[in-house]
Amino acid sequence: MSTADVSTQLSEKFPGRGEQVDQLLSLLGEPTDASPGCIFVYGPSASGKTSVLQSLFSHYQAGKTRVAFVSGVECFTARLLFERTLNAWAGHVPSKDNAYSNYRKCDSLVDFVARASELLGGGEEETHYLVVDQAERLRGTSVLTSLVRLSELLGSQANVSVILVSAVVWDKFRVRHGGATDPTLVFFPRYTKAQTLDILAHDCPPGEPSGFFLTFVDALYEVFHRNSTSVQELRHLVAMLYPKFVQPVFEGQATRSEFSRLFKLCQPYFSAASERLYLREISTSEWQRVAPASAKNRAEDVAQAIYELADGSGSGIMDLPYYTKFLLVAGYLASYNPSRLDMQYFARGKDPSAKGRKRKRQADDALGGQKRQQLLGPKAFAIERLLAIFYSIVAEAMDSSVDVQVQIASLVTLRLFTRTSNGDRLDGVKCKCNVGLETIRAISRSVQFEVDRFLYDFA
Amino acid sequence: MLERNYSSTPRHSGAPSYHVVRLNGFIHTNDKIALRDIARQLLIKQDLEDILIGSFSDAFTYILNLMRTSGDKGTMPPVLFILEEFDLLAQHPKQSLLYTLFDIAQSQQTPIAVLGITARIDVMDLLEKRVKSRFSHRQIQAYNAKTLDDFVSIARVALSIHSSDQQQQQIPKAFADTFNNKVDDLLSSELVLSYISEVFDIGKDARQILRTFVAAASKISNTQPYMDIAHVKPVIAREKESAKMQILSSISLLDLCLIISMKSLVQSGNSKYNFEMVYNEYKTFMSRHMIAASGGGAMKVYKKPVALKAFETLVELEIVRPIITSAVLSETGSGASGRNDLLAGSAQGVRAPKEYRMVQLMLEPGQVLELVSQRHDIPVVIKRWAQQ
Repeated sequence: MSTADVSTQLSEKFPGRGEQVDQLLSLLGEPTDASPGCIFVYGPSASGKTSVLQSLFSHYQAGKTRVAFVSGVECFTARLLFERTLNAWAGHVPSKDNAYSNYRKCDSLVDFVARASELLGGGEEETHYLVVDQAERLRGTSVLTSLVRLSELLGSQANVSVILVSAVVWDKFRVRHGGATDPTLVFFPRYTKAQTLDILAHDCPPGEPSGFFLTFVDALYEVFHRNSTSVQELRHLVAMLYPKFVQPVFEGQATRSEFSRLFKLCQPYFSAASERLYLREISTSEWQRVAPASAKNRAEDVAQAIYELADGSGSGIMDLPYYTKFLLVAGYLASYNPSRLDMQYFARGKDPSAKGRKRKRQADDALGGQKRQQLLGPKAFAIERLLAIFYSIVAEAMDSSVDVQVQIASLVTLRLFTRTSNGDRLDGVKCKCNVGLETIRAISRSVQFEVDRFLYDFA
Repeated sequence: MLERNYSSTPRHSGAPSYHVVRLNGFIHTNDKIALRDIARQLLIKQDLEDILIGSFSDAFTYILNLMRTSGDKGTMPPVLFILEEFDLLAQHPKQSLLYTLFDIAQSQQTPIAVLGITARIDVMDLLEKRVKSRFSHRQIQAYNAKTLDDFVSIARVALSIHSSDQQQQQIPKAFADTFNNKVDDLLSSELVLSYISEVFDIGKDARQILRTFVAAASKISNTQPYMDIAHVKPVIAREKESAKMQILSSISLLDLCLIISMKSLVQSGNSKYNFEMVYNEYKTFMSRHMIAASGGGAMKVYKKPVALKAFETLVELEIVRPIITSAVLSETGSGASGRNDLLAGSAQGVRAPKEYRMVQLMLEPGQVLELVSQRHDIPVVIKRWAQQ
C-alpha cells in the first residue's frame, strides 16, 4: 500500500488528525527509507497519539519492519524495557512452552546494543521502530538518554528509530548528559469542536438519526467544554445521558422535533448528575439502574435519587463508633486550630462562643486570608493535645482511657489520621488529621456537636 | 559542543588489515563491561568469566596474548581503539582502563593506537598523573563554525547532491544541477537566512538546522522532487513555536481560571501554594465578580472536586509541579524526578492529603497574559482579572 493510500485511510479513521498522520508518514517514508533517529510525539491526553501510531505501524508491520510498543509505566527499569523491546522485535512471546522466559537476558545497555544489532542487523535496509509510550516516566534514569541516542549507538549496524510518546513537552525532557540531539517534534493538538463532533458521530447508536444525535452532542459540548476538553470525558457523558434524553420519544411524551421540550424533561439528569458522572461518583451500572426520564417522574424525585446514589458510596466513614467520631473531630480541631488558643476554646467553665468569637474577629484581620491554616492543610499534633481536646468536647465523663488509645490506633489504620513521627517511637507520637471539612461537618452533625463554633479562622 | 561527526573521519580508512574496537563512555559504564565488550569486538569466543576476576591489566594482557597467538605468523594485527565520550571513561574509578591502554600503546610491544573523543576541553585535568604521563599529548581540536557563512555552507553541503553521489547512484547530471540550484535559492531566501542566523546566534548547533531541513526534505517525493520554500516554511514556524504555549492554547476555561488564580497568588507574594489556596482564590474572584455583574452570571462556579480534576490535568501536563523539599530529595536520591503526580510525595514522607501538597506554577506571569490574550472565547471579566 502506498504512502498516500495509508494517509487517506488513516485520516478517515481519525478525524482531525490528517495533518499529524501526513507529518509522521513523511518522516517515516517507505519501509526502506532512513528516518530520523528519534521522534518525539507529544500532546495532551486523549488526543489520539497512541492509537494513531498503532494503526500507522500496523501498515508497516506487514513487511520486514519490526515494531516494538512498550510503555514507560510498565517498564520502569532499564532491564524490563530492554527485554520487552527485544521480545517484541524478535516476535517472541513468553508463554507456557518456553517457561515464560524472555528472548534474551539483557540488563545493560551494552548487551542491548549488541543484541539489537545481532537481531536487526544483517544487511537489511528496513528501519525498525521502538515506540515508547508515557516516556515521561523514564526520566531520571539513564534509559531515556540511551534511547534518544540509540540510532547513534547502533551506528551502521542496524537502522533503528525511536519514537517517544508523552503528554509532557520536550523542554522538560532535556537530558542531563550532553551529546544527544533534540528529536524531531510532532505535536498532537486537542480536538477542536468540529473535530470532536466528527469523532462522536461514530458513536451514534444504531437506529438513531445522526443529525438528532449530533444536535444533542453539540448542546452537551457547549455545557462541558468549559471544564474539560477531553474527548473521552465527553464520550462518557454522551453515552450515559443520551438514553435518558431519547427516552420520552419512545414513551410518546415528545417527538424528536421538540428539542427544547426534550431538554426540559432531561434537565434534572443534567444538573444533578453531570458533575457526579464526570467525577465518576456514580458508576455506569448504578447509573443505568436509575429510572429512565419521562414526564411521569417528578424532577425533584429524580434529583433526590441521584444524590442518594452518590452519597451512598462515601458513607463508610459514618459507621464509626460514637466516641471515635468525637476523637476524629478532636483530631481535626487539633490539626487546624493553633494550640495557643486551646485554653479559650476548650477550658472548662468558659463559654467558647463568647470569648472565642471576639478573638476570632481580631485574628482574622491580623492574619489575612491567603495563609489560613484551613488552606495550608493539617499540621501535626501531639497525642496528648488530642486527648485533652477530646475529653473537653465529649460531654459526659469517661472512665477508661485504654479504649481511647486503641481507637486512635484504629483511626491511624483507617488512614483517617496519619502518623508523622517515626514508627518506632512509642512516646511523643504525632499525628495529622486526613479528613476534609465537609466530612467532619457531617460527622459532627451525626453526634450533635457544633464543630463550627470551635474552628478558628475558617471561611 | 564539538561536532560529533568528527568521529566519522577514521571510519573511512577501515581497511581489513587491522581491528577497530569502539568503546563509548556512555554505554561502557565500568571497566568490566568494557573489557567484555573489547573481547566481543575482537571476536574472542572463549569464556572469560575466570579471567575477569583478576585485575583489569592482567585480563587485558591475556586478551592481547590470545590475539597474538591466534594471528598469522605469530604477529598480532594492529588494533585501533576509538574511545567516544572519553570524559566519562576517565571517570571510572582508578582509570585502570585508560592506564592499561595508554601503557600498552606507549610500551610499543603491541601495535595498538588509542583515539579519544570528547566534548570537554579540560579533559586532560581529569586524568590521573600516572595516566597523564603515558598520554602522547596529541590533541586535535574541532570547533563550531566560526562565521555565519561557514554555518550556511554546512547546510548547503548537507542538502546538495555531490558529484560522488551522482556517479554512485547514477543520478542524471541535469537533475542534480537543478536540485542544487534550488537548494541555493532556498538558502539565500530571506526567511531561511534569518532563521539560520538566529540558530547561529543562539547555539551554533548545526544539528538543529539539519533537523529542520530533514523534516522539510522528507516532503520530497516523486511528484515534487525539489526542495521548496513552501516545505521549509511550516517546519521553521513549528521550530519557533513554544511547545508549552502550544499545549496550553487549547486548555479549558476552568484550567485557565486556575492558572490565573495561581498567577495572582504569585503576585501577592506566595512562592508556593496548594490546591486549597488556589481554589479559594478562584472562589473569591468569582464571588466578587458575581456581585459586580449582578445577574449576568453566564459563568458557573465549579465545585471543588471538579476543580480538583482540572487541577490534576494541569499537573499531568507538568504546567504545575509539586515542590519537592530538599529533605525529601536527600531521602530518596534524585529518582523522584521520574514521576510527577500529586501522590508522588506520599511514599516519601510528605504526608498530606493531595489538596494540601505545595505546588508551583511553571509559567511566568507574562506567559499567562500572552495565553489569555490569544484566546478569543473567554469572558471579558476573566481577561480583566488576568491583567490585574
